[in-house]
Amino acid sequence: MEMHPLYLFLDPYLIWFFRLTGQAEVNFYLGTLAVAILALLVGEFTSFLASFVVRRHFEQVAGEAKKYQDVSMEALKSGDRPAYEAANEVANDAFSKSFFMQIALSATFFWPIFFFLGWMQYRFFELEFPIPFTGYSLGYIGVFILLYIPVYILFKKIKRKLSYSRGIRVILDSYTETPRESKGLLDRLPPAADQQP
Amino acid sequence: MTRKTQLIITGLAVLMVMATLALLATLVLAEPALAGKLEEAIAKTPVGEAAGMIHPGAAKGFMGIPGAPHHFFLFYILWGIWVGWIFSSVGAFGGIMAGVGHISVFGLSDFAGGFKKTSPGLNKMLTDSIRTSNQYLVGLSALISSFTYYRMGRLVLPLGLCLAVGGILAGYLVPLLTVGKMDVSVYVGFFGIVVFAVAFVLFYETTPAGQAKKKAAKAAAKAFEAAHIKKSGEVSAEHAKGVQVTHWGLSRIAFTFYGQEFSFNPIWPLLGGFVINGISALIGVGGGFLYVPFLTSVAGLPMFIVAGTSALAVLVGMIVNIFNMMVVRQVPVDFILISTELIGIAIGSVLGPVTSKKIPEVWLKRIFVALAIYVGIGYLTKGFMGHSILPGM
Repeated sequence: MEMHPLYLFLDPYLIWFFRLTGQAEVNFYLGTLAVAILALLVGEFTSFLASFVVRRHFEQVAGEAKKYQDVSMEALKSGDRPAYEAANEVANDAFSKSFFMQIALSATFFWPIFFFLGWMQYRFFELEFPIPFTGYSLGYIGVFILLYIPVYILFKKIKRKLSYSRGIRVILDSYTETPRESKGLLDRLPPAADQQP
Repeated sequence: MTRKTQLIITGLAVLMVMATLALLATLVLAEPALAGKLEEAIAKTPVGEAAGMIHPGAAKGFMGIPGAPHHFFLFYILWGIWVGWIFSSVGAFGGIMAGVGHISVFGLSDFAGGFKKTSPGLNKMLTDSIRTSNQYLVGLSALISSFTYYRMGRLVLPLGLCLAVGGILAGYLVPLLTVGKMDVSVYVGFFGIVVFAVAFVLFYETTPAGQAKKKAAKAAAKAFEAAHIKKSGEVSAEHAKGVQVTHWGLSRIAFTFYGQEFSFNPIWPLLGGFVINGISALIGVGGGFLYVPFLTSVAGLPMFIVAGTSALAVLVGMIVNIFNMMVVRQVPVDFILISTELIGIAIGSVLGPVTSKKIPEVWLKRIFVALAIYVGIGYLTKGFMGHSILPGM
């Protein structure tokens, strides 16, 4: 398969990770792990940038979902079923908007995975790892996924300790809190310039 | 251990068991992984320059196939920007547009359709690749939002179980029954049906009746808020318990939440999970966004717990669908196409919020209704009549 020019440029740098030891199988796992880490870091960086640009709008939409979610819970508490259904409907509409916005924003995190898998396809398309005691085998995609998941989980634990991620976490967490914990978004974040008194 | 922790641990354990069962089930009946399925299909295709043939010397395009459509990468990014912009402006229609890109704009369905008689295997493989590509763009991106909601531990476990079981069944059966068997024209026809369904929903939301209903709901909610919401936000012991399942049965499952009782017949979420994830596995779009309106209309559940419960169903369904298609059934996918489209979607996701204040949402929806009707008619006629009665499809 003829390699895309962009991959041709990156190939010497990426293949270096697959030549660290003298053992082919170990090299593949180490290299795939390195590529998985790269995909994670690049995705993390681009999603971090995007979150700052859309933060205000996202807060607005998420805030509306949260507000009417709280109202629907209050209506439930007081046994007012019509008010609950009305507030729940509004909350669902707002939730749908924020759901799709998250889907779109998730692309800022996931695109590197496919980018690096595209390179691996050129290099390791025919590679197969037999699964013991079965007649089946795992290809480069399966190995990548199996390594990416623990890398992602470990990175999430480390990320919580990094201060830059707190802002993003506030945005993602704020409208999914329970009512008793809920505070207005503006109570928790520094006010945007045009909202300062 | 708090109740919330118990719920989270139980939910995670259920998720792991289901994903493991799904994995084992797919492996038991999976075909052995064979490298070069695409190369085999190409080798069986007649050689030549006419339609339905492959000329080995032609420039390589989609998935490295000689003579396949190939566009400047910026084109894929631009289309991705359009899809991402729609997602972050209006919502549901973005997935449809992602599919339209693969089917019509990039010319993949016409290319695949050319092999209907000369190389049916290649025709069907390209159809599966288009389906899987759609699913990646839409379904995989929901993974992050699924984890975000699921972390809360706010889910109705029996409801989530029923949805997930239905979703797993569909995620296993639909690829088993259709991968390698679906002609691209049939796929396009089914896609047209889904587009019409989305057009109908969007259309209703733009009618005076649909808008009046939303306004009335908002007014009622605001009126309640003004009259009753206390600033202190105190919660009684009863309400602080969260979801409490009070009855498990084959025909009825009941739970209380905030002092109110909710119940549902488990057959409905089972069927709902099957249908919704089945549509997602068959067409590659839809799925995740259907769970929430389904759950709220069938069980009248509060959005508060629907988000977490549907997140579990989306997550499990997506894992099964994509794993089954890609790893087990070895459906080839053009990663360069997907990654460049995702870059575009990422850019569009940022542009959407910037432009949303300038364009009223109702007018956006009206434009998309018109577009959806056009696309729906085009694909229905193309799929089931052999040619589209509208240009460009």
